[in-house]
Amino acid sequence: MTFLHILWFKNLMFWKVSSKRDVGMVVRNVGSFIVFGSFAVGSFYFSNFITAYLLENVRIGLFLFHRFIGMLLFVFFVTINLGNMVVSFSTLYRSPEVDFLLTSPVSYLNIFVIKFLDNFFYSSGTLFMVGFSVLLGYGYYFNLPWHFYLLMMFGVLVPFMFLAACIAVIVLLLLMKLASKVNFRLLISGIVLFYISQIYFYFQVSSPVHLVQEVMKYYPYVDLYFGTLDPMAVKILPNFWVSEIMYFYVTNNFTAVTGYTSLLVLSTAGLFIFALAIADAVFYSTWITSLTIKSLTIKSLEFKNSIFSFGKRSFFSPQVEVILKKEFWQFIREPSQWIHFVVMMALLLIFLSSVSSLNIKLETPELKAVVYLVVFIFNIFLINSLALRFGFPMMSLEGNAFWTIRSTPVTAAKVYWIKFTVVVVFLGILSIIISWLSNIPYLYIRKVVGEQPWMYSFIEPSDTVKLLSYSSMIVTPLITITLVSLNFGLGSVYSNFIEKNPIRIASSQGATMTFLLSVVYLVFLLGVYYFPATMLFTAEMKELQPDWRMLKIIFFAIGFPSVVIIAISHTVGIRSLKRDY
Amino acid sequence: MIELTNLTKSFGSFVAVNDVSLSIPSGEFFGFLGPNGAGKTTTIKMMTGLFTPTSGRIAINGFDVEKEPQEAKATFGYIPDHPYLYDKLTGREFIYYMGGLYKMERNDLKENVDRVIDLLELASWIDKKTEDYSQGMRQRVTFASAFVHKPRTIIIDEPMVGLDPRSARIVKDSLKQQAKEGASIFMSTHILEMAEELCDRIAIINKSKIIFLDTRENLHLHKTKYDGNLESVFLELTKEENE
Repeated sequence: MTFLHILWFKNLMFWKVSSKRDVGMVVRNVGSFIVFGSFAVGSFYFSNFITAYLLENVRIGLFLFHRFIGMLLFVFFVTINLGNMVVSFSTLYRSPEVDFLLTSPVSYLNIFVIKFLDNFFYSSGTLFMVGFSVLLGYGYYFNLPWHFYLLMMFGVLVPFMFLAACIAVIVLLLLMKLASKVNFRLLISGIVLFYISQIYFYFQVSSPVHLVQEVMKYYPYVDLYFGTLDPMAVKILPNFWVSEIMYFYVTNNFTAVTGYTSLLVLSTAGLFIFALAIADAVFYSTWITSLTIKSLTIKSLEFKNSIFSFGKRSFFSPQVEVILKKEFWQFIREPSQWIHFVVMMALLLIFLSSVSSLNIKLETPELKAVVYLVVFIFNIFLINSLALRFGFPMMSLEGNAFWTIRSTPVTAAKVYWIKFTVVVVFLGILSIIISWLSNIPYLYIRKVVGEQPWMYSFIEPSDTVKLLSYSSMIVTPLITITLVSLNFGLGSVYSNFIEKNPIRIASSQGATMTFLLSVVYLVFLLGVYYFPATMLFTAEMKELQPDWRMLKIIFFAIGFPSVVIIAISHTVGIRSLKRDY
Repeated sequence: MIELTNLTKSFGSFVAVNDVSLSIPSGEFFGFLGPNGAGKTTTIKMMTGLFTPTSGRIAINGFDVEKEPQEAKATFGYIPDHPYLYDKLTGREFIYYMGGLYKMERNDLKENVDRVIDLLELASWIDKKTEDYSQGMRQRVTFASAFVHKPRTIIIDEPMVGLDPRSARIVKDSLKQQAKEGASIFMSTHILEMAEELCDRIAIINKSKIIFLDTRENLHLHKTKYDGNLESVFLELTKEENE
């Protein structure tokens, strides 16, 4: 009863806030509806198009197609899992609401469940919407009946995401329990290393390029089931089960669908019960432990009397200097910032080391173009994730101390530009490195010259490949500036000075809207790049000279809308900082 | 020197500050009193650039706050009603940060940071992160950060919130010191005794309008009409407006 009572009032609060009827709120709600609605429709068409394209044009076959879905679902699963873990730490151990509830006669288990569900639904609402739109596009291509969507949404997608959240909270509870005995920094480092090694291991074991090469040996019989190619370690993962459910649904093997669905639902239920049991046993004691973890600041990074110290002189003007130093210390001393940053950088390194060592031996220009574009867009997606996670919350992180900026002789616009510069310079350099590394397999083609794999020389790439690689390396920084501007501008428009947790700010409604707009831009980039990429790979196969005008077309097609997005983002962002505070 | 001319602020149909005009000369300690929701904080937020006035003009030390905001802001220090600081900075770093925003050069800044730390007796805990501070400690750091650039005008919103008696005494003494050094002080407060003790002139705002404006001496004369108590004057004046 207590549980339902609290849930009722939380819902009431949510609806009262959501249904406020002032002009600003109505405009925002209409804007959100348009963006979310457009995105849902766009996701539907995009998923439908990609399915049709890969199966009909590139002809990768049903098996490979569903294995790619499985790999995407793995990334999705890890993202939900890590996101839930970091946000759960804040909502379970750093929340004033928990502090308040602990002083009331509500059981610890009830408090845990309320905050866990709050956390899950807060961070998963948009993913459900996107997931459903993508499923609709997929299902529409295969002309699947209504019960497919019902099963996929409630029997597959919800348990799949809930499973990721359950694992996250179990790991967190165990970590916090261990924290009373083991150094917390050591634990965090251990868990970060564990996740990184697991992701690395997954992509090593399920090597997508190897899989493509193996399946393509059986061309044109690529719709057959090549289950023997699946490594055993991959088969125990929920993302594999989901891809199997989808594969067997479209091949009408409902026995297998039932089997995998039951496995997923039962695993989720089992893990939820396990999470409840652990929470019942340790939640309160771990909450007490969390009070003793005062700070996760790395002592060796305190940089006393260094150039980062406020007392030291630099060549910057006083205002620029103190703002930069303040940003630096706020970042270094906030665990949810630097831990997340380290994890993202580590994942990025794994991805880049895999991509830069790819040995691409694909036959058709379409398939080459698809692989090239997938890597290109994934690079941009990574940059966008960093911009959303670290750029979007930057103005909000001024918090209630924003009065210091508005009441002193510094303009809010100056603070905005300083913060923007920090993010854009860092991500700009990173984007160039990423772009260069991911073009290595195209620019430095290896040819084995001896008996051992390491005995190789490099083949001079064709002019067409050079053209494509250099153009992507040049436009990537421009795309980065655009994405950082979008995240920064809208981060200011949707600034929330009350919320202190940067992860929650980066998963708020405004952040979701920004993410959706970024994805629209990414799809636009794909559209712009698709035809030149295919044409250039076709020209390469036919040993034709590249058409250098293509470069101009790419620049103009990407450059003009990017500049418009940059200008609009900064204009609305800076204007929003002049609102009454 | 502070000049408020026909200052008005509306939020939709609600008028929070209605046609307020005040003139506070240099060196004056000015008390701004009023019940909850009377318009004190809104007036102060307009003076400090946190709110844009709906109409009217604010000039601080000769600079129009709307037209020359940077010049105006360079001449005053502001202490808000809630002392929000950056949690991850230490108190000393916060004062340095504020000094930097006021464009203070390094040597001058270091000297003045040490000065305000001494003035407000912050030395024993100033190098801890502000997330570990009590409300009173935060309040004292905010005072220090407002004094660091030696402002010609100090604007304070409810200075005694959360201060223990010793901290309150330190703050009062530091304000007296600033006034003695020639700064004009605009202070909103609920504590009538404090206004009576420190202020040269007092204004009372109620329901968005100024209903009383006079010197401390004349206020004393006014008190004698009642029971000699400032609280009675305040209650009577605000009651009259309510009825």
